[in-house]
Amino acid sequence: MELEVVLAIAMFVSAVAALIAGYPVALTLGGVALLFALIGIALGVFPDSFLKAFPSRIEGNSIMQSQTLIAVPLFVLMGVILERSRVAEDLLNIAARLLAGVRGGLGFAVILVGMLLAASTGIVGATVISMTLIALPTMLRQGYDVRLATGTIAASGTLGQIIPPSIILILLADAISNAASQANLAQGAGSAVVSVGDLFAGALIPGLLLVALYLIFVAIVAIVRPSAAPAAKLADGTAPLTFNDVALGLGAPLALIFAVLGSILGGVAPPTEASAIGAGGAILLAGLRLARGTGSRLGPMLLAGVASLPVILILRNVLDLRVGDIAHSGLAAAAMGATALACLVLLASLVAGLLVLRRAAELKPALKSSAHITSMVFLILIGASLFSLVFRGFGGDDLVAEILHNVPGGMWGALAMTMLVMFILGFFLDFVEIIFVVVPLVAPPLILLGCDPVWLAILMAVNLQTSFLTPPFGFALFYLRGAAPPEVTTMQIWAGAVPFIGLQLLLLALVAAVPSLATWLPSVVAR
Amino acid sequence: MDTQVFLTLGSALKWAGIALLPLFALPLVVLALPKLADGLAKRLIAFIDALSGSALGVAMACGVALIFLQLIVVLLRYAFGLSFTWLSEAIMYAFAAMFMLGAAGALRDDAHVRIDILRPRFGENGRNWIELAGAYLLLFPICMRIITTSEVGLARSWLLLEGSRESDGLPIFYLFKTLVPVFALLLMAQGLSESLKAALRLTGALPPAEPSDPLSNGDKRGA
Repeated sequence: MELEVVLAIAMFVSAVAALIAGYPVALTLGGVALLFALIGIALGVFPDSFLKAFPSRIEGNSIMQSQTLIAVPLFVLMGVILERSRVAEDLLNIAARLLAGVRGGLGFAVILVGMLLAASTGIVGATVISMTLIALPTMLRQGYDVRLATGTIAASGTLGQIIPPSIILILLADAISNAASQANLAQGAGSAVVSVGDLFAGALIPGLLLVALYLIFVAIVAIVRPSAAPAAKLADGTAPLTFNDVALGLGAPLALIFAVLGSILGGVAPPTEASAIGAGGAILLAGLRLARGTGSRLGPMLLAGVASLPVILILRNVLDLRVGDIAHSGLAAAAMGATALACLVLLASLVAGLLVLRRAAELKPALKSSAHITSMVFLILIGASLFSLVFRGFGGDDLVAEILHNVPGGMWGALAMTMLVMFILGFFLDFVEIIFVVVPLVAPPLILLGCDPVWLAILMAVNLQTSFLTPPFGFALFYLRGAAPPEVTTMQIWAGAVPFIGLQLLLLALVAAVPSLATWLPSVVAR
Repeated sequence: MDTQVFLTLGSALKWAGIALLPLFALPLVVLALPKLADGLAKRLIAFIDALSGSALGVAMACGVALIFLQLIVVLLRYAFGLSFTWLSEAIMYAFAAMFMLGAAGALRDDAHVRIDILRPRFGENGRNWIELAGAYLLLFPICMRIITTSEVGLARSWLLLEGSRESDGLPIFYLFKTLVPVFALLLMAQGLSESLKAALRLTGALPPAEPSDPLSNGDKRGA
């Protein structure tokens, strides 16, 4: 074997070994790659120019100037603000109350709220922890089977991976898009673009299908073993839900999610703009939620902000307000003034929302947490891009492509092997690392072998979601364990996850067998 | 304005950096000769942590700026059909600054993902040694490499006071590029602080780190 190939393999193995040591992943990936690059240069098998390109890669289109990835911090901000303002807690409480009379109602509520939270935050750790803290004690008190309760919570928490708008799907879209362009270039065709919108659209049907599978499962358990999933008994004297509670606690987050998803799928706004709408909406919601009952004078300001939205929407769609058009009638000029005013009111109400958050001592933690998560994701991107750069310099990408091309069974064989490897990697690597390190290596050869990029991405997402739910290393279970009361045993958590893993695998098989589940919606939504 | 002055300034900074390099041996001194430099080490830790903290504060402010700027872009485009290059560039600047300046603070607050399968089993001392080894073998080399390889391009950028490629863009692209070495420098300083903490814990001059709690680290997994 050639020396480069030996070094490429040694680098991969050393990286895995070093990762296990527990130093931050981003720095481990980058540092190991750098050490091997220096060894390669000393042995004369690595071109020095590869390393020189590193700083310009950081400041280039793939990291610091990436237009796609701007949506990541904005969605992170949206999720963290919603979580901090206890919107999630309200959501679960109201859904549970509404479904209280139904057998298995609490289970349904957890799944549906998991779906909504997933769509609004896309952060697995946070979703699992908050749902465990809020829902698990109630479920256990109402006599739910421990395994069913924990399994439902863990599985619903991982929905964040696949239900758009998830951060993971944005990162995956970026990686898959690059891979598809590379594959097309190799075939001599033009560059192919897989947009974030495509992936969001592609993930929607499989995601909803998965939610349906979960709901059916809980319904079956509730019918077959009523004692495992009883109807909830409300404590005496609980005030009935008011219209306000439902509208603000359930309707408002729903409206926000529809606004964000709808504007992306409807082609009104690219994901980056939609993510800003989401973050702004989260600030308004959080402000309204936290100002409620405090008699804060900022409340009316927030309501004015909400009221300004229809004004902008209606005026904009009734009249042509575009600046620079030749002649504006007096009416249009007045409408432009009114719209400008409404925009200012909206921005002012956002400032009010931030002030409310600050008064509740939630602004700084939310911003800090967002800055942490964003830095964490992008430091991994930086470390992983150095890793890929060096791996490529050693010809490692050709090696991977060669292996995948030689797997018996053609495309399906290569796909099955990739999925298996990713599943195992999912035990100890985070989704973000897998996207940045593994996807750029395996996706171009798989696309060359005939995989549709969107289909491939959805399969990877469902596959990894399953991996996070699988004992003993599944991350979702780990978070659940951390937040669950001590009388819940780890074995119960593991046993509870098993049926949901089965449902996940069923979905994986369905999407693999019927690719149009993932590819149909992207082909029809507005581009 | 004569931009040559930046070149002089830059090389002054470079020599200052080289003069400060011996500081990076301080964790080893702390380990080899306990008590000798503990005071200095603790003062340095406090200084670096505060520095990373202020950078994190700027990153947090950039997060707020990012929301508002992007919303203004959306409103202008949607309602009035207007778009400005300088505004989109300001968004890009806020976005990049958020993680380039936040990375060191995230290291300080242990918010970067680690693989914690075996980590709990290494024991307190094992974890401290890993922290030291990681800083010297992985973190410092990466940062040094970024700083040294970005030097030439950055000098050119400042000499030209490089602006945007678009005529209506922001004229401060050289500052955007400067984020790269600033990021590396902050991260390297924080790495020094973390390895000093590890060394002090190993000699017993600092109490052991509190065990990491999965609840408090709920924001660690961005997935």
